[in-house]
Amino acid sequence: MLLVLSDEHKEHLGFLPEVDSAVVGEFGRIAVEFLRKGTNPKIYEGAARKLSVDAETVQHGVEGLMYLLTESSKLMISEVDFQDSVLVLGFTEELNQLLLQLYLENRKEIRHILGELTPSLPHYHNLEWRLDVQLASRALRQQVKPTVSMKLHLEESGGVKSAKVLQTDPATLMHLIQELEKALAELKTTHCRRILRNIK
Amino acid sequence: MELSESVQKGLQSLADPTLSDLKTFPVLIELAFRSLLTAHADCSVLDQPELKRIDQKLLKHCHTAATTCILEGVKQNVDKSTISSCLEDFRFDAERTDVFYITYQVMTTLLWRCPPHINDVSWRLEYPIKNGHVHKVNEPSYLIFIKQNTNNGGSSEEVNFSCTMEQLQDLVGKMKDAAKSLEKAMQL
Repeated sequence: MLLVLSDEHKEHLGFLPEVDSAVVGEFGRIAVEFLRKGTNPKIYEGAARKLSVDAETVQHGVEGLMYLLTESSKLMISEVDFQDSVLVLGFTEELNQLLLQLYLENRKEIRHILGELTPSLPHYHNLEWRLDVQLASRALRQQVKPTVSMKLHLEESGGVKSAKVLQTDPATLMHLIQELEKALAELKTTHCRRILRNIK
Repeated sequence: MELSESVQKGLQSLADPTLSDLKTFPVLIELAFRSLLTAHADCSVLDQPELKRIDQKLLKHCHTAATTCILEGVKQNVDKSTISSCLEDFRFDAERTDVFYITYQVMTTLLWRCPPHINDVSWRLEYPIKNGHVHKVNEPSYLIFIKQNTNNGGSSEEVNFSCTMEQLQDLVGKMKDAAKSLEKAMQL
């Protein structure tokens, strides 16, 4: 699947062949850093001064790279498709290889960052459990009443952790285990295997 | 009960009738218990109109002394005679000791809260293909809904979360460990 670049995008990336490949490499590193931690406009000014160009040109170049990387990672395009998409820009072979390397090295991480943008439920992190036995209460002595207390650790996509304390009795615990084992077994059925195999 | 000198001084101030009369004293004690029972610290807890005339520094000292004394009492699960003799040492009169102990009894029952009790679990197996931000996701994922009863008896709440197959295997493994320990313990 080829990436279709708009004219504006091509124009922004048009700045890249005018500088050294070392500088393009540096821009690539800055683009990935901005994707990880957010943009920092001061960097554009510093780079613009060193290269004797407008800060806006540098900004467009870096943003163009960021968009190229996010779109390619989102669609998970193959090496060949990436190279063909970039061919349209008319860059040198060296620059094309540099961009390809940048994409291949960072696409997994970029997909992970994009994945955090999707709305999702908190996901499972850990489970701690404790066995308690109630031996007596004000109303009744000499009891044996087992309970299992559990602390369920969950994590939201932004890294926010939470923990919920829950309690259950032995019969419900066995029921929970049975139900969840059924859920795990479902993944191994022919129906699920067929779908997982065919939709890739 | 062993209490530090600072706490002892605070309790002596609490017992002092010139500092707090029999109207203000119950308010102070109740506030001390409430500070311990609420989940989040409330900076304005001592901003009560009844306490305005008391010197703020002294008020804070008394509040700290009261909360420390309560925590020591709960830790050692003290009975009425221990608390009474302890407070008498700090010159609490009989009325104040009664007020303290009654509030202590009422509030400590609130400390014995039960976590919500799990009723049931339901699950959903999904195979996300793509979303607005990432295409070709292609990884099966489980949605787990744990139904529970809250303390208010009857009302049912849900804890919902997602997990991968490996995480679900981890969860089930840990629950099975708990069940095995339960079985071993019951055989003793």
